[in-house]
Amino acid sequence: MTAASTFSARNRVAPGALGRLSRNPGAPWRHLDLVLLGTVLAVSSLGCLMIFSATRGRNPSDFDTGYLTKQLMFMGIGFVVMLGVAMVDSRRYRAVAPAVYVAVLVSLLTVITGLGSTRKGSQAWFQIGTFQLQPSELAKIVVIITLASVIAHFNSELDAFRLVLALAVVGVPMALIMLQPDLGTTLVFVAIAMGMLLVGGAPVRYIAAVTLVGIVGVVMVLNSGMLAKYQQCRLTAFLETPDEECAARGSQYNVEQAKTAIGSGALLGTGLFEGTQTRLDIVPEQHTDFIFTAVGEELGFVGSATLLALLSIIAWRVWRTAQLARDPLGSLVCVGVLSMLVFQTFENVGMTMGIMPVTGIPLPFMSYGGSSTLAEFIAIGLVLNVHMRRFS
Amino acid sequence: MIAESPRVRMSVLGIVVFALFASLFARLYYLQVMASDQYQVAAQANRIRVVPIDAPRGRVLDRNRKVLVDNRIVVEITIDRTVTDDLPAAKRTAILTAVADGLARSGSPKTVAQLEDDLANPRYSPYVPVPVALGVPEELKIWIDEHGPELPGVAAERVAVRRYPYGKLAAHVLGYTGQINDAEFEAASTLPKSYTLNDDIGKYGIEKVYEADLRGTPGKRSIEVDAQNHPVRVVGQTDPIPGDDVVLNLDIDVQAQAEQDLESGLAIAKKRPCRACSVAPKGDVGSAVVLDPTTGGVIAMASFPTFNPAEFVDGISDAEWAFLTAKENHAPLNNWAIQGQYAPGSTFKPFTAIAALQAGLITPDSTVFDDGEFEVPECSGDSCTFRNDGGKKYGVVDLRRSLTVSSDFFYYGLGARFWSDQTRLGGPESNARLLQQFGFDQDTGIDLSSEQSGRIPSPAWLESFCKEISCEDSAWRTGRSVNMAIGQGDVLLTPLQIASGYATIANGGTVWQPHVAKEIRDGVTQKLKRTIAPKQVGTVSINPDWRQAIIDGLVGVTTQPGGTAVGAFSGFPSDTYPVAAKTGTAQVSDKAPTAAFGAFAPATAPKYAVSVLLEESGYGGSVAAPVARRLFDVLADPTLLPAAPLGGKIAVLDSLAPEAGEVRD
Repeated sequence: MTAASTFSARNRVAPGALGRLSRNPGAPWRHLDLVLLGTVLAVSSLGCLMIFSATRGRNPSDFDTGYLTKQLMFMGIGFVVMLGVAMVDSRRYRAVAPAVYVAVLVSLLTVITGLGSTRKGSQAWFQIGTFQLQPSELAKIVVIITLASVIAHFNSELDAFRLVLALAVVGVPMALIMLQPDLGTTLVFVAIAMGMLLVGGAPVRYIAAVTLVGIVGVVMVLNSGMLAKYQQCRLTAFLETPDEECAARGSQYNVEQAKTAIGSGALLGTGLFEGTQTRLDIVPEQHTDFIFTAVGEELGFVGSATLLALLSIIAWRVWRTAQLARDPLGSLVCVGVLSMLVFQTFENVGMTMGIMPVTGIPLPFMSYGGSSTLAEFIAIGLVLNVHMRRFS
Repeated sequence: MIAESPRVRMSVLGIVVFALFASLFARLYYLQVMASDQYQVAAQANRIRVVPIDAPRGRVLDRNRKVLVDNRIVVEITIDRTVTDDLPAAKRTAILTAVADGLARSGSPKTVAQLEDDLANPRYSPYVPVPVALGVPEELKIWIDEHGPELPGVAAERVAVRRYPYGKLAAHVLGYTGQINDAEFEAASTLPKSYTLNDDIGKYGIEKVYEADLRGTPGKRSIEVDAQNHPVRVVGQTDPIPGDDVVLNLDIDVQAQAEQDLESGLAIAKKRPCRACSVAPKGDVGSAVVLDPTTGGVIAMASFPTFNPAEFVDGISDAEWAFLTAKENHAPLNNWAIQGQYAPGSTFKPFTAIAALQAGLITPDSTVFDDGEFEVPECSGDSCTFRNDGGKKYGVVDLRRSLTVSSDFFYYGLGARFWSDQTRLGGPESNARLLQQFGFDQDTGIDLSSEQSGRIPSPAWLESFCKEISCEDSAWRTGRSVNMAIGQGDVLLTPLQIASGYATIANGGTVWQPHVAKEIRDGVTQKLKRTIAPKQVGTVSINPDWRQAIIDGLVGVTTQPGGTAVGAFSGFPSDTYPVAAKTGTAQVSDKAPTAAFGAFAPATAPKYAVSVLLEESGYGGSVAAPVARRLFDVLADPTLLPAAPLGGKIAVLDSLAPEAGEVRD
């Protein structure tokens, strides 16, 4: 098969399950990726359940549904927005991408220059009523679309100058997020850029060079005074021998308790709502960044392996859509989404199991949070969009 | 270039994604399947804190089941650190100030700094509220209960502490409890009933020796805690089991009588003129023991000066402790009946007599002519002449008479012959070996702590003794055997050993291990759990003829003209209740003599063996015998025995029985 065939449209009609509902045999809805949609809904529902388990109270008889209700609402909003995103032909996004990109840069600037509210040492939120909007989550989606547009515009012929330009598209918002500071999200941008540049046709030597610069950069950042001590400690906590100052700060605590929660789940888990590490708040941030530990403890290896399997099915469907896409733009958007989801999954789950540094990255479709849930559903909306229109 | 084609690049991306997921699966498998055991243990440890629940301690009862020690409920103020430590500093200080004010109002003042010290004390488990005041008035509890919302973490709880219905009576026997120290905690780690560093443990007396029975089995409350160690709920509880009751052989009524007589006897000795004493009698320290000669059961054991065990209930202060252990106060905490070692003086003569009968040195009818001065055979030098006390001459004296009038001369001769006949008797240690049959020179094994073993001197002892401290002469000479025969020199017995020796004569030769406790009963059902059976620890072979002669002589002490305790026993119903007794006076240069008395009664079928010892207080017949006489009055006729007063207040009498007059010896 030639390279062109990946992006070429074919006129073969594949009747989708929704086909019967549509009078137009060529309507995009007939090609909706039901496997992706179903898997995403399954994982989101499990996420709600585990959020409830982690937040309903310390006593077995407690029944606090505050977080559950909110997350269900986020999920509902996300679902509607996802359908909206899927409906509009993705080619139109190219036209509005520059404007949205600028809007995101402005909002990121605003959030770090005073209008944002500070939480947990990081200035990353807009307070809107009782909700916090986190622009950096939505920035990920905008950067994916913008970068895809730029690479598609260059027709995947990336020389050094174009590569620098592409890197700048990612680098500017990334730098702003770094200033919040939000190290985890910054790393997600790196993953998105790497994945998209790889598939977008950047010469291997350039990718290697960028990787090298990245590694040197990380080492320099860790050793410079740029990071607060707590950030350094968190990042190095997964290493078996942290430095003494970090040990004194108890940086190992999160990782140790997360590993204990997952490990104690064993094969079958303690049963839903029966996990003591979960119920007694022994693992911190359990409804957000450490939600995987609740799955590990209460549903055991069987449950958490199933969750990982579902997440890998999502990755597979996004990867597959990238291959089926009718044009480079759609394909690159899918690669960006894939890079984002896989990196977040690997980093988040790896962190809870002690093989990755601790950073505040949500587990896609599982962690509690409005902005991240919305961003993830928009991302899936984009992939559904590309999948639906692969023939038109 | 084929490697740069989008399709290959997509494959590379796919492989990377696959590899990342594969590594997550591998790690997950390791944590949850291969290493899950260690994490399950860690999760359980995170979650459950076990807090002990105190079990009530068992009671101590006397032989008639009168309660000597039980528990009473008092109000204890506690502060829960898990609550106060979470409060802002200002609020926390305000609470401590309020508690300090409350304590000051209720008469047990404590400063905020002292409260802080209590809270910082690492002895207390973090999940158990820290006690800061014990035995505060009910009003303070009401005040704290009413102001609960303003005083988070502060509670007034009712707790059980030791109660002594008879006050100071039998304090040395009952002993006391106190907070466990590190060494005791270490030692208790293997015991079935677990301890925490907050727990009390028996420190002395019955409380110490029967700790394993008296201590209840603590309950356990398993509390689920969250990440901040805040209790979430109780997930399980094992109820505490109260400790067992210890029933004593002690009769608290006899004990009260013995303590009254002892204290009165000492007070009288203090005031009584002692013409023959080179130094004025002190009358500061004394003891009295009543044993059952048929079992070794301890019916009464008094030691003076005494102490109040209730002072130990909420922890004894350093000043109180210093007072109770100070030598100048005669260490009121010591039980002189088992911790005091004294030269028994003439009370030792019956033991020498039995040894001599066994050795064949005399028969019951052997006589000597007592001219008051005994010349040590083959002796040259200054100390070759031993005289009767007061220079008396008793003329023809047999075994019976020697005891009745307390002829030293008779026993000097026996002492000399023990030494001269040593080859026939089995060597230089033979005299000591014969006397050791009575259990002397060793612990009696009584069920009380800190017992001393006394001493029977011998050539071997002298040699080792002189190795430790320099002696003028480390060689054993006849004079030492002569002195030893009358209970002087280096002979030391505890008052308990004297009583036990007389019990052995009384019962015909059985050495019982003295024991205070009789049986152990379930603290709730009163069902008998264990009997402390009388334990025979030795036998002294006493021919009935010998025994009769000795008893005749000892009864003569209280009944015959010339008997050394006749005065003290004048008017006593000796016809129906003959008392076999011996007075003793241990002479120590530059000190008032120590008065001793050993006895058993009724001589026909002995029920009681008694010893009385008044340290540096005068002559045995003058000051010790009256104490025993008054005790025998009530032992002979139990209807005369008053019930021990609750609270233990006893009156000190001005006189005991009839005025005995000055009896030398």
